[in-house]
Amino acid sequence: MTPEAHNDLVGVTGPVSPAAAGQWPDRRPGGGLVRGIRAAARAPFTARALRELLFCAIEAPLGLCVLVVPIALLGLPLTATLLVRGAHPAPRHTQPAGIVAFLGPAALFMLLALLVLAPRLARRLGAANRRLAGRLLGEQVAGPAPIPGGRGPVAWVGATLRDGPGWRATGYLLVQLPLAVAGLYAVVICWGAGLVNMTYPLWWAWFRNHPPGVRLSPVPALTPFGVLHVATIAGTFAAFAAGAAMVAAAPWLTRAVVRADLWLMRGLLGPGRLERRVADLERARALAVDDAATMLRRLERDLHDGAQIRLATLAMNLGMAMDRLATEEDQSGLAEVRDLVGAAHQSAKDAMTELRDLARGIHPPALDSGLPDALATLAAASPVPVRLTTSIARRPSQAIETIAYFCAAELLANAVKHSGASTITLTVTGQPELLLLRVADDGHGGADPAGSGLAGLVQRARTVDGRLDVTSPPGGPTQVTVELPLHA
Amino acid sequence: MAATMPGLRVVIAEDAALFREGLARLVESRGHQVACSVADGAALVAAVARHRPDVVVADIRMPPTHTDEGLRAAIELRRAYPRLGVLVLSQYIETRYAARLLEDNAAGIGYLLKDRVADVADFAEALERVAAGGTALDPEVVSQLVRTSQQAAGLAELTPRERDVLALMAEGRSNAGIATALVVSASVVEKHVASIFAKLRLPPSEADNRRVLAVLRYLQP
Repeated sequence: MTPEAHNDLVGVTGPVSPAAAGQWPDRRPGGGLVRGIRAAARAPFTARALRELLFCAIEAPLGLCVLVVPIALLGLPLTATLLVRGAHPAPRHTQPAGIVAFLGPAALFMLLALLVLAPRLARRLGAANRRLAGRLLGEQVAGPAPIPGGRGPVAWVGATLRDGPGWRATGYLLVQLPLAVAGLYAVVICWGAGLVNMTYPLWWAWFRNHPPGVRLSPVPALTPFGVLHVATIAGTFAAFAAGAAMVAAAPWLTRAVVRADLWLMRGLLGPGRLERRVADLERARALAVDDAATMLRRLERDLHDGAQIRLATLAMNLGMAMDRLATEEDQSGLAEVRDLVGAAHQSAKDAMTELRDLARGIHPPALDSGLPDALATLAAASPVPVRLTTSIARRPSQAIETIAYFCAAELLANAVKHSGASTITLTVTGQPELLLLRVADDGHGGADPAGSGLAGLVQRARTVDGRLDVTSPPGGPTQVTVELPLHA
Repeated sequence: MAATMPGLRVVIAEDAALFREGLARLVESRGHQVACSVADGAALVAAVARHRPDVVVADIRMPPTHTDEGLRAAIELRRAYPRLGVLVLSQYIETRYAARLLEDNAAGIGYLLKDRVADVADFAEALERVAAGGTALDPEVVSQLVRTSQQAAGLAELTPRERDVLALMAEGRSNAGIATALVVSASVVEKHVASIFAKLRLPPSEADNRRVLAVLRYLQP
């Protein structure tokens, strides 16, 4: 290995190549200190620092305004009570009882309202915070799963009270309050007051040029360590120094606040650990299911292009041999050969039939051109007439098509075998998120959903979060509905 | 057993080389000439344009997508050359494919399982029939299509025996062939055929044409 090559190799992972060395900061003693000072001086004016400042400036009031909601909700009945009391002064001896009688239930009601509204309000505010972080800081925090919907006010309240992510968002808002205070401090005191302090020497000369002998009260300058009273020109430089230090420290404070806030957001506003795990598992399962479908498809193709074609060729050759033997004039000793070839011929044909059925059972080839075609072939092969209706706008994933196909095949076979039906209706409807497959027959009913055939289908549908419903009263008719998601 | 129609010019399209060579040997052993053997649908269309064969034998599933290239090529060829016989082979019988193939006209169309090449004489006969403008449908195609078209007008009036006769007609058999298959005399078959034409309200005209029409009526879903 040449030295050049060696350098190139290392250069991929670390900056050691001679060409690049010149561009790297020198390691001389003292250089670090200078760089540190330069970086500190530049820190407040980088784009990142300004974005973080803006984030704090918006985030802090937003966080503090959370306090307004409970205060308003609890303050309202109190105010109302006071107003009522002012308007109708009650007789002295009944007064305390009257207040309690009104204030108690009203406060309780407001408290309950707060409880019911908190998760939903917190979700909104949390979402606003996440958007703000994404927009200003480029930090994308994934949102939680949407709150499960429910019909009617009872379901709505129930869903809200059981909304884990909503309560975590509420927790975030409470924990974030001190951070909001710190952020506000960074913005108002460090940035605001710091910049103001730095201006003291500039305007001092213009506004404090009074004739000697005039005594003016000192001008206060706000610093984190108390108020500085500036009375002389030298004092303005002290204020300037304090301001410069504040402005230099400000970006680090805002950065600390922002970091802590992002950490809280990820922990409390994002999807929970369980939710993330579920999402991971769902993804993994979808992959596994699709993988299995792909594998079966490959297997079918291998059979088709391999064993099947070989056998067909064998049968064809044997057929030709038999043809030749039959036309040969000299028949001596040929009878045995003919029998042998005939047997081989038959076994090749049988094997082809067997293989075809096997391959079709693994993956129906017509599924490649979609469910409607595959189901048409399936329906045509049924000994009981099948009325087939398909309307599928968006093609489901391969795995779903395969499951739907095998459900249909099994249900048709069941209907033919057990129901005594004279017609079967097979309907497949594609909805925005669902594939609905319905098999109905006019037979004598009494199908057992726990029977091995139907139970197997339920299992199969469940692997993709689908479901299967059976209505089959004694005397019929039987209707089986399979609901599958469009994508596994 | 000599070929009944010597000297047919045949183009073969099949992606499996082994099977393709076997087919060519089979066709040549019957006294026909293989003008060209190709391995996909596009090459088939080009070969037909160049060689102008009497009949093509095409696999349905060929590269590049391995779905229905052969079928699409066959339909395209039928549109471009109405007198060309097209015999498609497949490992499977798919009802929709058969319906697409028979959409316009069943004359000169064949759709057989690949298994059928094992019976060399029958296969060669089917090929010659298709080349002559007849039909050769696999019994499995017929049984599938018939199940889907049971409610068709006129068909309900047919007796079970007449249905049997019609099914054999759909496979492409002649009256003599039907008589052999059903173990009856040719005159009985002729009587059944006349009755079928009457029940399906097919006016007397050229006999072959009426047969094709009857079969089409029978098979149309």
